[in-house]
Order: sequence, then structure tokens, then C-alpha cells
Amino acid sequence: MIARLKSAIPALIPFVVLTVSVELAVRQGWLKSYLVPPPSAVFHALIESRAELFGAFATTSASALLGFLLSTIGGIAIAVFLSSSRAIQRAFYPYAVFFQTVPIIAIAPLLVIWFGYGMRTVVASAFVVSIFPVIANTLTGILSTEPALRDLFRLYGASTWTTLFKLRFPAALPQILTGLRVASGLAVIGAIVGEFIGGQGLGSVVDVARTQQRVDKVFAAVLLASVLGLALFGLINLVSYLTLRRWHASEQ
Amino acid sequence: MNRRQFLPVLPTAFLAACSSSSSPQKIRLALNWKPEPEFGGFYAAPYSSHGLNVEILPGGAGTPTVQMVGAGSAEFGIVEADELIVARSRGNDVVALFAVFQDNPLALMAHASRKAEAIGDLFKGGTLAIQKGLPFARLLEKQYPFDKVKVVPSPGGDLSAFLHDPMFVQQVFLTSEYLTAKRQGADAKVFPISATGFNPYSTVVATSGDYLRKNPGVAKDMVAAFREGWRAYLDNPKSVDERMNQLNPSMSLDGFAATAEAQKPLIENEETKRNGLGSMTRQRWLTLIAQIEGLGDIQRVPSPDDCFQNL
Repeated sequence: MIARLKSAIPALIPFVVLTVSVELAVRQGWLKSYLVPPPSAVFHALIESRAELFGAFATTSASALLGFLLSTIGGIAIAVFLSSSRAIQRAFYPYAVFFQTVPIIAIAPLLVIWFGYGMRTVVASAFVVSIFPVIANTLTGILSTEPALRDLFRLYGASTWTTLFKLRFPAALPQILTGLRVASGLAVIGAIVGEFIGGQGLGSVVDVARTQQRVDKVFAAVLLASVLGLALFGLINLVSYLTLRRWHASEQ
Repeated sequence: MNRRQFLPVLPTAFLAACSSSSSPQKIRLALNWKPEPEFGGFYAAPYSSHGLNVEILPGGAGTPTVQMVGAGSAEFGIVEADELIVARSRGNDVVALFAVFQDNPLALMAHASRKAEAIGDLFKGGTLAIQKGLPFARLLEKQYPFDKVKVVPSPGGDLSAFLHDPMFVQQVFLTSEYLTAKRQGADAKVFPISATGFNPYSTVVATSGDYLRKNPGVAKDMVAAFREGWRAYLDNPKSVDERMNQLNPSMSLDGFAATAEAQKPLIENEETKRNGLGSMTRQRWLTLIAQIEGLGDIQRVPSPDDCFQNL
């Protein structure tokens, strides 16, 4: 346990240094508080508006998590489908790239028309921006199974599905998890952008606080959004540790 | 401009840069939206005849002009009067010098089929798309509780939800989305916010207190140029519209003409005919400060005399 705590120290140092120096700079008048809020004001906003902020945090978490879950399932399913043949890949992969390039802010008003105001639009936004890295990484993983092992499975007469689930899929796990790490952060961004347009959650808090020129509250909400991103990232790391520690170099 | 055209320009640009020591210093005017008729007078203003070298910086959604002016990244910027009061209360020393819109162009737009008679009828059901954080929205909410309507974020200039849903109410500019909705065949009815008694000056030129103290002459010349520019634009917007249309092709020339016409009564009234375009009164600032103070979220209440100057 103590070793664990010690390993967190390097990450804490930049945080403390940055917080203290911003606080000092604002107090000395080098930075204006309406441009960069002093950390003490952000902390104060967190305490003062805790009910509103944590309620919004819970709402955003639910939407981001659901969007992320959908893009995990959808992304892996699409990648498996794409990996089934070269022709299918050529026919559909370019359309998967669409998800990566779609300017979410431009189509968000349409999402509102399709899904209505509220959670469904937010989940859709999180899904759209986070699915591509899952597709791309899973596909690379599935396609880069070691040829010798593939031959071995063929030699034993394993079916396509057996090969997929017993060989290709497990072998692709490291890449899939990398895709999920990227997707987890994007899902949080997607959810917040969705909330700008669809209402509710941290996105709505940021939007309102911005129009009220409450930079301290904007930063408090942004802080909570990054806590959410870190939590999702930590979750993937945990899954990664549990599934890879016995055989993959990245977790040993 | 292609590359071949660009090359001969270089030496001239170089010479211009060298001689800048003798020409007046560049003054930046930051807009909070794209070049559109609400800024027409600023594009029409004869800056050089006042010895001014002005660069107009077009903005977009959420351009933080009030912070830019306070931080000195633009000498002048377009803000809203209510925004300026909140900024001052948070320690941002900005001062209003010229108010284009004497009557605020904000309104709530509904479908005429709802048969709403007064603004209060809009809160009895349906969906209300509004920027919740803005003082006008918070004042409306105090007056007419929003508990029977579904409050959603304002979609900006996007009208798709409005056109789609007869029970949809949206915050709009009388001079912009309302005209677009009518052009698209919607049977729209508008309820101006100013009729509720909350009527902040809009499209207001502000500068920082620090700049104003150090450059009182420049500020005075700028205001004179704005006044001449707005006079010219109100009388004949066509040539300036064409210039702005080059900078902002997403608005058609017909759109420019319609907006320029619709905004006239909001810019010029009996008071400006007496005191000059862009002028402001202490009484109106006082009223506005009291209204914003009533919302209860500003700690320091600014004095009206710090908020504006008629130069």
C-alpha cells in the first residue's frame, strides 16, 4: 500500500507546483483573476456549488460511460465484421473513418432533432466521437495475429469462430485496450460537447458559467470532467492489468 | 489571391512595415460576431480621416471580447451592456463608449399558431431554447417560473428545431433569426425582451479604463469616427454591405439588406436624434445595474459613472 502511495508522488509534484504558482501569480497581480481563476477560487466554487456540480458530474458520467460502452461493443463488432474479408474492408472501412472526421459540433444540432434534447443526444455524441479508435485498433489487432499460430489453428481444423474467439481476439487484446484508452477520453469530450447542445450535465454548467463570466466555476467543472476522464482511464488500466499481466510484456 | 498575385505585394508590404513608425499606431477593434449589419457602421467609419489606423477583428460564437479588452489584446471591443456590468463587478475595468443598439434586439420567437398574446403565455408549456446564464433569461425566470416548460440550450442561429416543432420557443435577434424564419415560410411571432423592462444597450464599444486614461484623444476620435460611420451606414448601407459580404459570404446580400433595414429603429430614436448616435444615459445604466444586482450574483456593485462615458 505504501509503495502504491509512493508511486503517486511523481504525479502529484507538477500538480502542486502548478497550483501554487498560479495562486501566487494571481495574488501578486501578474495574472488577472477574470482571465485565470486562482486555484483557491476554483476550490471555493467546487464547495459552494457542490450540489449542482456533483449532480452534473453524475449525469455526465452516466452519459459518457454509456456512450463509451456502446462504442466499445459497436467498435469491436464493426472491427470483427471488417476483418472478415479484404473486400468488406475495402468497401466499408472508409465509412468508419467518417466517425473520426465528423465535426461533432456541426452535426450536434441534428443529433438534437434525431434524438431529442437530453441524455440520448449526449450519449450519441459520446458514441460518435469515441468509436473510431476502437474500430481502428481492434482491426489492426485482429489482422496482426501471428501467421504461425493461425496455421496451427487451421491444421487442427478449428472453425472461423473458434479461431476468432480463442486466438485472434485474445491476441488482439493489447491493441483493443489501447483503442479503449483513447476512446475513454474522447467519450468524455463527446459527452460534454453533446451537453452544450443537448443540455444537462457538466457541459451545461460550463456553458452557463461561461455566459456569467464565472471562470472559477468553469474551471471547477473542467476539473470534474478530467476526474471523470482519469477514472475511465484507470478503469481500462485495471482491465488491462487483469487480462494481460500473465502474458503480455506491457503489463509485466 | 493566388501566389503570382501575392508576390508583387510583398515589397509594398515590406515598405509599409518600415514606414510604420511615422504612421499612427494600429488600433484593434474586436467584434463578437462575424461581419454583419450590426457592425455596419464600424466598417463604414472614416478612421483615416481622423488619423486613426484601425484593424477590425471579426469574431465568432463566444469570442471573449470583454476579457480581450481587459487584457489589452484588443484596444476596443464590442460587448453587451449587461456583460460589461458583470465584468466590472469581477474586477475587469472596462468602460462603454458607444452603444449602437439603443433598444435591445433580443426577443423570444414562437409560432403564431400558439396564439400567445403576451410574453408570459410562452411559459405555459412546450420547449424553451434559451441561454440560461444570461441576465435576461434569469430575470424572465424570476418573473415567470420556467417549471411548465422544458428549458434547453439555445441553438444559436440554427432554426431546425423551431421549424420542426410548433411548441418550440427560441431566443432570437429581431434583426436576424426572426427574418430568416419568416423567409423560410414560418409563421413566427416575436416578443422583444425590451418590452419586459429589461433593455440593456447592445453592440456597445468598450475599452479598458487604463487605455482610456492614457489615450483620451484616441478614444474621442474613435467615437467621432463611429458616429460618422453609423450615420453613413444608416443612410446608405449598400456599398458597405457588399464589402462585409466579401468577408462573410455565408450571409446573402439580400440578407444584409433586410437586416440593415430591420435594425434602423433600434439604433436611431428620438434620444439619439437629440444627443447623437451611440450616446447613453446615466439613468439607463443605473436601471440596468439595479436589475443585475437584483439577480444576486455580483459582489461588487459598479457605479454607473464608471461604466460609461459619452465622449
